[in-house]
Amino acid sequence: MIRATVSKRPGVLDVIRKYGRCLELVSIDPHFHDITVGIYLSDGVVTVWTFSGRVGVEDRIQQIRDLLVVRGDMVAVDGTRNQARFECGIVHERPLSFLIANCVEKSPDLEQATGPITVRDFRTKLTLTATPRARDGRWAYEVTGVGEASKPEMRIRAVVGGFMRYGEMERVSPSEAAFTCGARHDELVRLLIPTARNVSSVEDALEADALRGQMTTQTLGFASSP
Amino acid sequence: MALVETMTPRERVLNALAGKPVDRPPVSNPTNVATVELMDLVDAPFPDACRDPELNARLAATGYTELGYDSIQPYFTIIQESSALGCEMQWEQKDNWPTVRMMSPIWKEPEDIHIPDGFLDHPDNQTVIQSIKILKGQFDDEVAIIGKTMGPWTLGYHVFGVEPFLLMSIDDPDKMLRCLHLMKEISVLFGQAQIDAGADALTFPDHATGDLVSSDYYRRFLQEIHVEMVERLKVPLILHICGNTLDRMDYIAQTGMAAFHFDSKNDPAEAMRIVGDRIRLVGNINNPETLYAKTPVEVRAEVNRALDAGVQLIAPECAIPLRTKLENLLEIPAAVKDWAEEHS
Repeated sequence: MIRATVSKRPGVLDVIRKYGRCLELVSIDPHFHDITVGIYLSDGVVTVWTFSGRVGVEDRIQQIRDLLVVRGDMVAVDGTRNQARFECGIVHERPLSFLIANCVEKSPDLEQATGPITVRDFRTKLTLTATPRARDGRWAYEVTGVGEASKPEMRIRAVVGGFMRYGEMERVSPSEAAFTCGARHDELVRLLIPTARNVSSVEDALEADALRGQMTTQTLGFASSP
Repeated sequence: MALVETMTPRERVLNALAGKPVDRPPVSNPTNVATVELMDLVDAPFPDACRDPELNARLAATGYTELGYDSIQPYFTIIQESSALGCEMQWEQKDNWPTVRMMSPIWKEPEDIHIPDGFLDHPDNQTVIQSIKILKGQFDDEVAIIGKTMGPWTLGYHVFGVEPFLLMSIDDPDKMLRCLHLMKEISVLFGQAQIDAGADALTFPDHATGDLVSSDYYRRFLQEIHVEMVERLKVPLILHICGNTLDRMDYIAQTGMAAFHFDSKNDPAEAMRIVGDRIRLVGNINNPETLYAKTPVEVRAEVNRALDAGVQLIAPECAIPLRTKLENLLEIPAAVKDWAEEHS
């Protein structure tokens, strides 16, 4: 009986009713049997979920949830192993998609960086830094660059643009961006800064990723042009 | 008025394909609705689920048991026969479609075309055949089981390579026709094996898409073959062609195929106007933008648009993206039921 082999895992409808809409799917977890991990959202609570029934999967899901806390400034929901939320009360959806990919795909043993939020720029010899500053009753992140570059302000503006694009942040000034909630999310900014400095490459990667698993005349090779 | 369903899903699909009355429009994807999450649910990931009958049946069944669609379609890919013919395969991972390496074609001339001994016994063909038997044994007459056999045009891309195959149509159209007529026997052989295994209907993908060839190509090279397929394969056939096809729908409607599974690039109202009651339409919810990237609100709007146009069977336009969110897939039958209630 096919139904019998499906096991006693919750059905699709049950999961959606309980945990809400799916925000993002990471299709392959390289650290646990290639399972698919999703994050679902309901009432400001993010649930890490997989339909896999593999032995040990609850521990892996808790590990991912705990990584959301460490790498994304989230807080664990009391009494749960798979839920977290942002303390500010806002769900930062776009950054969450980068966060869950990081927590599932990167090694869980990777040590979280601390201290100043910095990254080396690929295009120049700048070291870019995002520093939290109090601005008119909210926190903004000021981007600065140290090192050689002919027009460093251009790179700084580009990073601020990247924060707006991938962090859903607002431009406060040409060199500053803030989350819409006005709160500090240092670890989210640390997560986003490598992405924010390199928008064109990230866009290419996102486009390629979106095409993966699509069956179209283009992906099948049955079309003359994209 | 509350909708009262009086038909089994199988009756609903088969009636719709025959142009007979239905209690509500069926939701029936002639390609498939496998996703990475459903693979986890039943522990049947790609590519294994394309190569093992039990896993294949388990995953295929979720389209009915979890999503509530009216049919089950166990042939997920478009490459099973090509693998059995000896094409080089790229089986990919869980989250991507297996493909044929068309840069390494196996045939050049009509004389090369042959059906290898044991073609039907090849494990990749047996996966589909045995899966249909499993599903038929499990679901009997409850839900429609739709098989799939690739048409000669699509097989031509795989075995000759896309470019050489299309060039042949220009350089030597007679040779091209000979090839198509030889390769159609592959379609019949595999299709009949699925009918014998219990398939209620067959999808017949034959990608003479407007993205690559003109409508005249369809008329010259394929229309007659498709008519012949209808005569030889004695179950309802659902022709599937991706891409722009409005310009050839009149020809398609003359083939006797039960239905045409069409792409979201084609306006459903215009498609219905062209085909009239000569053939049923299946589709045409957009995959890459709507199902993959939007929300149930937009999915519902597209379902309503197709239903308002008169499309008889509602479905995604093609095999769905493997990372499609399940809430979007669940919205299709929900929207169909609501529409049917409003119009009952």
